[in-house]
Amino acid sequence: MNKNYIILTILMLVLAVGTLFLRMSNEPKQIDPEELLQEIIQPTRYVTTDQVAKMIIQGDPSLMLIDVRSTDEYIEYTLPGAVNIPLEDLLVEDNLLYLGIPGKKVVFVSNDDIKADQAWVLTKRLGYGSTYVLKGGINCWMQTIIDPQQPEETAAATDFETYSFRKGAQMYFTGAGSDDGGSNQVNVQVQRRQKSNVAAGGC
Amino acid sequence: MHIHELNPWRTLIALSAFIVILIIGLITMPKPLLKYEKTVDESVNALVESDAYFYPWELEQVIAKETDTIVLFDLRNNFVFGQGHIPGAENLSASVLSRKENIERMKKLRDLGVTVVLYGDSELDANGPWMLYRQVGFNNVKLLLGGYRYYFEHKDDLSATINDDGYKRGIARYDYAEMAAPKDGAVLSDIEKPVQVQRRQKSNVAAGGC
Repeated sequence: MNKNYIILTILMLVLAVGTLFLRMSNEPKQIDPEELLQEIIQPTRYVTTDQVAKMIIQGDPSLMLIDVRSTDEYIEYTLPGAVNIPLEDLLVEDNLLYLGIPGKKVVFVSNDDIKADQAWVLTKRLGYGSTYVLKGGINCWMQTIIDPQQPEETAAATDFETYSFRKGAQMYFTGAGSDDGGSNQVNVQVQRRQKSNVAAGGC
Repeated sequence: MHIHELNPWRTLIALSAFIVILIIGLITMPKPLLKYEKTVDESVNALVESDAYFYPWELEQVIAKETDTIVLFDLRNNFVFGQGHIPGAENLSASVLSRKENIERMKKLRDLGVTVVLYGDSELDANGPWMLYRQVGFNNVKLLLGGYRYYFEHKDDLSATINDDGYKRGIARYDYAEMAAPKDGAVLSDIEKPVQVQRRQKSNVAAGGC
């Protein structure tokens, strides 16, 4: 064989191996930092406690709550149907299986909203969509759903509508009989509903 | 017989041209403005580093202009910034963060060894941009704990915030288990009914009744 062909073959092989290294230098399955920055500055990832309460009450099968606090905190109290994945363990392969399920909306929950937001940023970097952050976290859940405050008489009509919904939700979540079904409510496969139109307010 | 075997010089020229084109392609390939310097795992671990945060009482030295190695960036929009901001802060709305000139400015500040403190209205507003900058290697970027709102409430006595835990994150502000404990059924029995109806409806749907 002509030696030119041998040289050409070797060169092609070297280049082919080179392209392999080019790929390895970029971690697979990550979105570009600039794209991530664009996503981060959008406030569309936040959902209110009212929206989540309504989805739980309606048994929305698309809702998946992920409590990113520690296991101890989770055992003490969590939202109905929430699964516990502490932030430190979020990126363990088995835990990532909870994300990216078609038709599921994952809502990250923490005491306030910072830790949940951190989980959102990290999973977004890994390219997972349909993830949300419970704005105000469980502290806000307590203020708005578990212990809603009556608006002043001069408040707008929408405030009263919100209050009326929250009072109903309060009964649902703290009333006798609702505690036993807590972890089953989300798992009940029922018809799909629209997201809440309840006026946002509170935290 | 192949033409190149007759003229090895032609083969060499074709090869050289091929390699030159490849090299030009690689050199002119658009370089991304930002590149991850930390893996996701490293980023998780870095969240607990205390030097990644800026505490409210530390603002005093910035406001008093005692230091020229700290720059405050207000990520709120221009209108809100105009209504009030931390003295000495510069407005850099979150919406323009990804502009090339702003990223280059951040790089310049990093190279000069200047600490950049980001804040939004609440701590949450600056959390995302702060995390991203840390992940792409801006270890000089810090997050103002409590955000502007906390500063505004305590601006008259910032040094006292050292003993306050109002700005601290991730704290349960209530005893959740006690607060959300099931209430006495007798009190709620009247208004509980509609809730039960709702749940029953769901099970009917699931059962497929018509």
